[in-house]
Amino acid sequence: MSLENLNKLVKEGETEDAKVLAQQLLQDGIDPLKMIETLTQTMARVGDLFAKLEIFLPEIMLCGEALTGVVDILSPYLDASGGREIKGKVVIGVVKGDLHEIGKNIVKLILETNGFVVKDLGYDVDSLTFIKEAEAMKADFIASSSLMTTTMPGQLEIIEILKSKGIRDQFKVVIGGAPTSQEWADKIGADLYCAHAKSAPEKFPAVLDNK
Amino acid sequence: MSTVYRHWEIIDRAKTGKFMDEEDFLPKRFYPTLKKLIKKYEIKYDPQNPCPTDDSMADRVWQAAWELFRDVGYYNTDSHRIIEVADEEIKEALYMAKDQYIVGGGKDACLMKHRSVEDPEPPFCIMSPDITVDEKYHQSMCMAYLKEPLLDGLCGPILEETFGHLIESGGPTEISGCIQHIQNQKMAARLLGRPDTFMVAVGTAEHDAGQIAVSNNEWGVQKTDARLVGSLTEFKTADTLLNRSLHYAQYGCFTGSLTGAIYGGWCGGSEGTAITTVAYSLIGLVIHGAMFNQHFPFHLNYVSNTTRELLWPIAMAGQALSRNSKLLYTSNGFANAGPMTEMLFREVAAHALVSTVTGWHLWEMASTRNKYRNRATPLEARLGCEVGHAVARQKMTREQANEIANRLLAKYEDRAADAPMGSEYHECYDVAKALPTVEHLDMFRRVKDEISQMGIDFLY
Repeated sequence: MSLENLNKLVKEGETEDAKVLAQQLLQDGIDPLKMIETLTQTMARVGDLFAKLEIFLPEIMLCGEALTGVVDILSPYLDASGGREIKGKVVIGVVKGDLHEIGKNIVKLILETNGFVVKDLGYDVDSLTFIKEAEAMKADFIASSSLMTTTMPGQLEIIEILKSKGIRDQFKVVIGGAPTSQEWADKIGADLYCAHAKSAPEKFPAVLDNK
Repeated sequence: MSTVYRHWEIIDRAKTGKFMDEEDFLPKRFYPTLKKLIKKYEIKYDPQNPCPTDDSMADRVWQAAWELFRDVGYYNTDSHRIIEVADEEIKEALYMAKDQYIVGGGKDACLMKHRSVEDPEPPFCIMSPDITVDEKYHQSMCMAYLKEPLLDGLCGPILEETFGHLIESGGPTEISGCIQHIQNQKMAARLLGRPDTFMVAVGTAEHDAGQIAVSNNEWGVQKTDARLVGSLTEFKTADTLLNRSLHYAQYGCFTGSLTGAIYGGWCGGSEGTAITTVAYSLIGLVIHGAMFNQHFPFHLNYVSNTTRELLWPIAMAGQALSRNSKLLYTSNGFANAGPMTEMLFREVAAHALVSTVTGWHLWEMASTRNKYRNRATPLEARLGCEVGHAVARQKMTREQANEIANRLLAKYEDRAADAPMGSEYHECYDVAKALPTVEHLDMFRRVKDEISQMGIDFLY
């Protein structure tokens, strides 16, 4: 059994088999960091296929779940060998009054599988909850999604509360969702408008670099 | 009568049904069941034929949809319980469902009735921009739609602001915005001289409170009008949605069930999108007591349904519903391109053509991926509805429609990803008179001529 097999199992979303094989490869002395790097590349390729809809959401979700399962197995060993690079910490959720979360879930998955630590607050999330959770997590990003025009003001409210609390500069505020736009991001003073899930792993660090 | 007599049993099940963690519902219950049914019923997408003619497959899609609903149920995200129904309840609901309703009032009343595949009767035409508009254009746009001769029903544009205040879901501004929305719509209808036109309202209401606020037979949404109850993708509901369907039934207006299965999402590809769309009609009937179903399956990336991978499930779902039920259902077009572009006119023509010959009523037309404010006009809806009337009257077959759809697709589908955004309402309409500009109308006529030469015998 090889790293190639592990790749295949993750790609096919076979979480349990992948976890067993990851354990076995560790025992065989394969470097956990190398395993993660390889699997991350695989996930990026799967992400590309999904972006073109050559595969669909269930497939990438299963793949992401398998990768997460393997990362859980490898994490203690990664810590011992210096740890996996964390690109940023994100709280993510769908704003107050909005119950639509498919887009948010895709962004969450793409971020998690690209080296971000993500706390998912779910949907219909109060603006203050975003902030309290971000403070508790010492997050770099507050990312909010809105699918309805009448729930978009929730994204503005997050920024307004951050300003009122005097902590606007502590977090990068990211917005997304079908009716949102760069124009809306500029209007409310968000740091980043994320139009597509696929672009998130590149765009998020770029904003952080401008801190 | 619809199935509202079961409302309280449904509400009860929403609180006492089988518990399941929401995270598990789609990956562990919905998707595996759908995948199994696609295989069991041998549903296979055929990209060469955006308007397929396979009756047997249409019937299998129907069976698969029935089993999908029965075996998966409908998830209530507030209680984390699954509303399950039995075969006999679905059968009873289908028996009790009416195949026609008179909607609207007085001289403006219209008959909406079940359509068959290749039905020579024209589709019922609901027109809607499906997008938000600036407050200053709202009434003009309502009036512009009401000036459309083929309009049987209007679902007006959505407001983002009310008297200078940003509308926030669940807050006082939403209540105000919803009242402003329906009054603009009703005023426009009165001024036009078709005061009792059937309306589906109000899209400005995201929260149940907004809908309830406009239930008034004197000045608001009348009992001869309809309201929509949505679904959460896929196969999920919430108390705020169940509130709506119960309120609509108790108020006495018509209920429409609004659902958009997502191609590329949990439905997977075209096959799963077709099955899920049909299942949503059953859900609308049994769960919400809906008199009609408003379906807008769409592409996860493009947020449109005019490319072949979406036309196929629309065509297949229409045939499945038409051949196996007497239900009423509208096909809601979502285009990639924006107003006053030739691409948009071709997209709406393809959508209306395929939908009409496969048994649907029409709901035209969300333009510019249903995303950008002010980017929709009645003229694209006009073309779609003219196509619908024409192909019904000329008794067009699915084979003929398929050929024309392929010719239309050849002219625009490679631009789906980077479609032109076109113009905003005020750039291609005279806002004061609520009429298209000369340039816009010229483009409409030019594309209509082009489509006519493909074999559509426009009636005028």
